Amino acid sequence: MYSKREAVGSVTLAGDPLFGGGVDGAVVLIVLLKTGVAFAALMVSVLFMVWFERKVVSDMQNRIGPNRAGPWGTLQTLADGIKLFFKEDLLPEQADRRIFRLAPYLSIVPAFLAFAVVPLGGVITIAGRETRLQLADPPVGILFLLAMSSVAVYGVMLAGWSSGSKYPLLGSVRASAQMVSYEAALGLSMAAVVLVTGSLLTSDIVSEQSRSIVDWNLFRLGFLPFGIFLVAATAELNRPPFDLVEAEQELVGGFHTEYSSLRFALFFLAEFMSTVTMSAVMVTLFLGGPSGPGPDRGFPGAFLPVFWFLAKLMIFLFIYVWLRATLPRLRYDQLMDLGWKRLIPLSLFWLLVLAAMILDRRYGFAVFGAGILLGLLLLRAVQVGQSATDDAAGAAPAVREAG
Amino acid sequence: MSEYLPILTMLVLALVFAAGSFLASALLAPRKPTAAKSAPYECGIVPDKEPAERFPVRFYLVAMIFIIFDIEIIFLYPWAVIFRQLELFGLIEMVVFALAVFVSFIYLISNGALDWGPARRTLATTSLTPGRTTDSTVRRISRTGETIEAA
Amino acid sequence: MVAQNLIFGVIAVAMGIAAIRVVTTQNIVHAALYLVVVLAGVAAVYILLAAEFTAVVQILVYVGAILVLFLFGIMLTRAPIGRTSDLDNDQRWLALAVSLLLLGVLAGVLADAFDDTKLPADAAVQRSGEVGTSIFQVYVVPFEVISVLLLAALVGAVVIARRD
Repeated sequence: MYSKREAVGSVTLAGDPLFGGGVDGAVVLIVLLKTGVAFAALMVSVLFMVWFERKVVSDMQNRIGPNRAGPWGTLQTLADGIKLFFKEDLLPEQADRRIFRLAPYLSIVPAFLAFAVVPLGGVITIAGRETRLQLADPPVGILFLLAMSSVAVYGVMLAGWSSGSKYPLLGSVRASAQMVSYEAALGLSMAAVVLVTGSLLTSDIVSEQSRSIVDWNLFRLGFLPFGIFLVAATAELNRPPFDLVEAEQELVGGFHTEYSSLRFALFFLAEFMSTVTMSAVMVTLFLGGPSGPGPDRGFPGAFLPVFWFLAKLMIFLFIYVWLRATLPRLRYDQLMDLGWKRLIPLSLFWLLVLAAMILDRRYGFAVFGAGILLGLLLLRAVQVGQSATDDAAGAAPAVREAG
Repeated sequence: MSEYLPILTMLVLALVFAAGSFLASALLAPRKPTAAKSAPYECGIVPDKEPAERFPVRFYLVAMIFIIFDIEIIFLYPWAVIFRQLELFGLIEMVVFALAVFVSFIYLISNGALDWGPARRTLATTSLTPGRTTDSTVRRISRTGETIEAA
Repeated sequence: MVAQNLIFGVIAVAMGIAAIRVVTTQNIVHAALYLVVVLAGVAAVYILLAAEFTAVVQILVYVGAILVLFLFGIMLTRAPIGRTSDLDNDQRWLALAVSLLLLGVLAGVLADAFDDTKLPADAAVQRSGEVGTSIFQVYVVPFEVISVLLLAALVGAVVIARRD
């Protein structure tokens, strides 16, 4: 079903069989078709996700939620979107016009692109050409995801700055520092997946997990990288409980306060699209992508794998909504503490333990023990740092009194 | 190279979609700007201050520290790919590398460079009347309306 | 190959224009953004050269981290929206001379080293495994030295920034 790796550590460059015989007109047409379908699927999934979030949150809060447009209000998002087309597009007088216009693009493009490397299913045949249900499979696959999430900072940062207004600026500075901080933890937990797979290709990562449910990275890596990835991804997406970026009570709307009409709609779209994409990435990295829970029997059709993929995707979409309905927002210092002082050291520690365990169990325990000792050192450092900060803060008022 | 064709197509499609919807919005939406509408948002009051001039240097510090960690993470990926060839040698290499970064991390943290929290030590408040507490100032009322004396 | 040359041409022109705009624009944030275009263009050229790992590293480090730091620095020290008139000074001709000299030297070195060597048409894509082998087996000592460099950089950053 998937191309198997030949040997551990060497990367197959098989890529998509579509490009095996060079690029001609038919191949370009197939690529256009696939891209179009993926694009449409993403848009529909965003429309669905917005509705799903509103509906589930309203259920959790004992409200009815959207129920007017379409059956069970499913067309509500579409209606909202169409409404936004007819709204006046305001350009604040203090804004940097060009960057203000550019920012929504910068926010939506990475959301679209990251989805391209997610494998959605097996191999299908279109017009006599075999191709994977995956838009692109570049040799740096998983790093491409990381690159896209690091580029996503620009949209938020520039939107806030270019608005020329207080709240957006505060929101964007918060957002950029937050996204940058959690990207480190994201990268470290993704490295654990690469470690057991021995390849950066998303298709290899999926095929490596396709044998049975125990081969899913969720279990093989011992839950911890998955947990760290989930937390870091939530923070990277600026979703609750990490939504300090647009904390309504403090910052009105955060970085997009000054945006209206369709520009606002694009930010909104990008946010939900990134949520869908990030969930798809988690399914790929940790839950075996399109493979079912049983052993891989090499299904000829492409639709059962797609079904499994969507089913797993739904789990994460629900988790995101659930988190939003349940958890209160973190304070900024708690957010930074969690990212830097817990997630980053923990994920680095676990990565090295995993590497040692792959070689020999004894090395694994040795690294584990050493890690615990270093963890204690870190705890002590946190205490020292805290008291240094407190001293500095305690000294400051005294100076003010003297002056 | 051809692997990037779909990504390029997706990029073009996303840009066309965004530009197309802006065009549609420009054609469909009304355009009646007023001074009040285009003023920076300030919850209805007239803004009288420029946006903040300076931010805490900590934000900048975080970005700087991130670069260092980003570089370390990038080294981890090729290492992870060929780890099974490198075996013990690779493990030792990375442990040494990680230790060096960890040392600077410890230095960072023990300097309080990543502390954002409100300082736990607050000014010793000289309360005006020591006798005033919540017990003495808050009048509790029972369900039936009588005042409950503080215990 | 024709397609690749065409794409290279487009990228090169875009990079050239953006590079000139970096130094001529009157707005400092715009300058930083033009620099993003230049560095992203470099990444695109790396992809054309089949050096994909390098391309991703270019995006991750330069676009995703270093320029974010630049923008942060600009934003945190009050980046004025609109034109800033004092961005230029009277050393522009000197700067032009220096950059032309640098261009000449680099072009000369490249022409000398590669002459008219062609990238083989079936150029194997640079595998991240190969990158790993050269870093972790051939250049082990430089790799470990980098960790010390990073350590020094971090300590330096903290010492400078903590003097608030």
